[in-house]
Amino acid sequence: MTFAAAEGICKSFGRGFALRDVGFTVRQGEVLGLIGPNGAGKTTLFECVAGTLAADAGTVRVRDQLVSPLHRKDVLFYLPDRIVPWTAQSVNWVLALFERLYASAVRASDLVKSLQLSALGRAPLGSLSKGELKRTLLALGLLTPQPLLLLDEPFDGLDLRQTLEVMSLLREHAASGRTLMLSIHQLGDAARVCDRLVLLSAGRVVGEGTLEDLRIRAGKPQGSLEDIFLALT
Amino acid sequence: MRSPEFAVLLAKEWHELLASRAYWILLFVIGPLVGQSFISAVNLYAEVSGAGGGPAALSSGLTSLDGILVPTFGVYDLAVTLLFPFVAIRLVSQEKETGALKLVLQFPASLGTTLAAKGLILLLGWFIAWLPGLVAIGLWHLYGGHLYAPEVLNLLLGHLLRLLLSCGIAVAAAALTESAASAAIVTLAFTLGTWALEFVATGQGGLLQQIAAYTPTAALRSFEQGLFRLNTTVVTLAITVTGFTVAAIWLHTGRSLQARVLGMGVTVFTAAVIVTAAAWLRPSWDFSENRRNSFPAADEATLAQFREPLNVTVYLAAEDPRLVDLERNILSKLSRTVPRLQVAYAVGSRTGLFERADDHYGEVWYALGDRKTMTHSATEPIVLELLYQLANVAPPVQREEKSFTGYPLAAYPTGAALIYYLLWPMTLALFWGLRRRRATIFFGRKP
Repeated sequence: MTFAAAEGICKSFGRGFALRDVGFTVRQGEVLGLIGPNGAGKTTLFECVAGTLAADAGTVRVRDQLVSPLHRKDVLFYLPDRIVPWTAQSVNWVLALFERLYASAVRASDLVKSLQLSALGRAPLGSLSKGELKRTLLALGLLTPQPLLLLDEPFDGLDLRQTLEVMSLLREHAASGRTLMLSIHQLGDAARVCDRLVLLSAGRVVGEGTLEDLRIRAGKPQGSLEDIFLALT
Repeated sequence: MRSPEFAVLLAKEWHELLASRAYWILLFVIGPLVGQSFISAVNLYAEVSGAGGGPAALSSGLTSLDGILVPTFGVYDLAVTLLFPFVAIRLVSQEKETGALKLVLQFPASLGTTLAAKGLILLLGWFIAWLPGLVAIGLWHLYGGHLYAPEVLNLLLGHLLRLLLSCGIAVAAAALTESAASAAIVTLAFTLGTWALEFVATGQGGLLQQIAAYTPTAALRSFEQGLFRLNTTVVTLAITVTGFTVAAIWLHTGRSLQARVLGMGVTVFTAAVIVTAAAWLRPSWDFSENRRNSFPAADEATLAQFREPLNVTVYLAAEDPRLVDLERNILSKLSRTVPRLQVAYAVGSRTGLFERADDHYGEVWYALGDRKTMTHSATEPIVLELLYQLANVAPPVQREEKSFTGYPLAAYPTGAALIYYLLWPMTLALFWGLRRRRATIFFGRKP
């Protein structure tokens, strides 16, 4: 069942287009992967969908209802990559902030265990390593209650074991009914965790579907995601 | 927006304020500075009051407002101009620079609400910075110093408005510029600009001088004289609200550039209309105990009956001290009393050093209808008598008013140095250390 759909999203910066007529659908409770080469427009697309960046054109519907950019935060939450918010505050502080602000049903203490943040509780965010910061930010995203969660590069900075554990955690959240959309540049990770994929290249969607759908579209019945990616982008 | 969310936002901003080194530096600096001003003021007051065998005549008319409160709180004007903007800028700029703004934009509360929380916490932070000043008032009272509540409260209100204005400008600058450094430059440029405007406008009259009356320093000055002007208050509040509104509009990157520019344009236009309209607001209240900003009540009642416009032409240069006397003793009081007053400044030069008597230099002409008269005096009874002759009305019968004799006091600032130079820094150091230890205990509990 389609949970949300984006249509005709366009965004340009100065001379060039970052996104051209981008559209995709997200199904209830699935993990949708957004993949594409560097500069494909993944982050820009997430920001436009989330309403934190003004798109030049395009709509987002959730459960068949048009949602204006100013009200997107009511139905989805976007967790950006490469941010170091509130650098002087501790991990515990920022988790408590989100837990209280969103009156979250998910307990921060459970996420602290799942994401191995126990030892970091008193550490300021500005002092964390890339992986530690990523796990902390993921906890923030998972504390929010919106039915759709957009995660920009959720595995960036994590080692293999942590990546697998986070994948498992995300799958658990999806199984509990939350819909996830992940922007991933590691194609192996994307193939492992996502139910369906959206391929973005030079600001356009060049493919959408399951791995099988994309293999057919790329004309590579036995191809890996890397093969499909290279064929379609 | 649920009220618990706002409480969480307030707690968040409070912790962010306490994490700001700029704020702690401000607190550390403000205590000794206020202490130094207060101790100097008390010593000087004692000297002028006759301690050490000074001439007794000097103490006549001495007030706590001029002698103690204004110099002591003068430090806050300096802090609001040069230190506090950095605290306000940090609260906004850091969230932009670190990417936290992208999360803030998705908070359940609107950006306007989030900025309101920042504003309230900045206000709370400022009230804490006021503690040394409030302690000074308490100490002065303990020394036996006289305090007249309306003028004390009016002075505090003036400083509060000065702070709000500074916050509004700093928050808008932080929102509109790319970095905290640029925002600081813009804020300081604004302050310097207002100083320059005030300097240029002195003795010029017309629109320029009218605008200059709303610069932060000029606005504060009237409060320091015990005068509460409604127009100054409205203008200050309007600019403050505009600053916060501009920030709320501009920071919302989810709105298109056109929408944000349009929103800002509408906000600035609305503010301009309010500021222009406020210039016509005449009500003002003289809260000074010695009514230094007012003519005697009977004279005010008579002057308020003038139906014809009173035109005053002043042949004094901007830097001539006689102009200061004329402004303070006559013109500012007339502007509060006479329904239609026009003042023209007829001298082009700034110093008046090379003006000649045959150019009318030094003269002040008063014209009412087709009658006019001239005087060199800036003395209240002389000018009032001239005005009554000009208006062809009888001078009012003066009620017997008790003359203001002042409140001389030869006190010594006992204990002040200990409080400001030792207790204040030690207390702050203690709280700073406690805060660092408790930095991980947030919003009351651990997840």
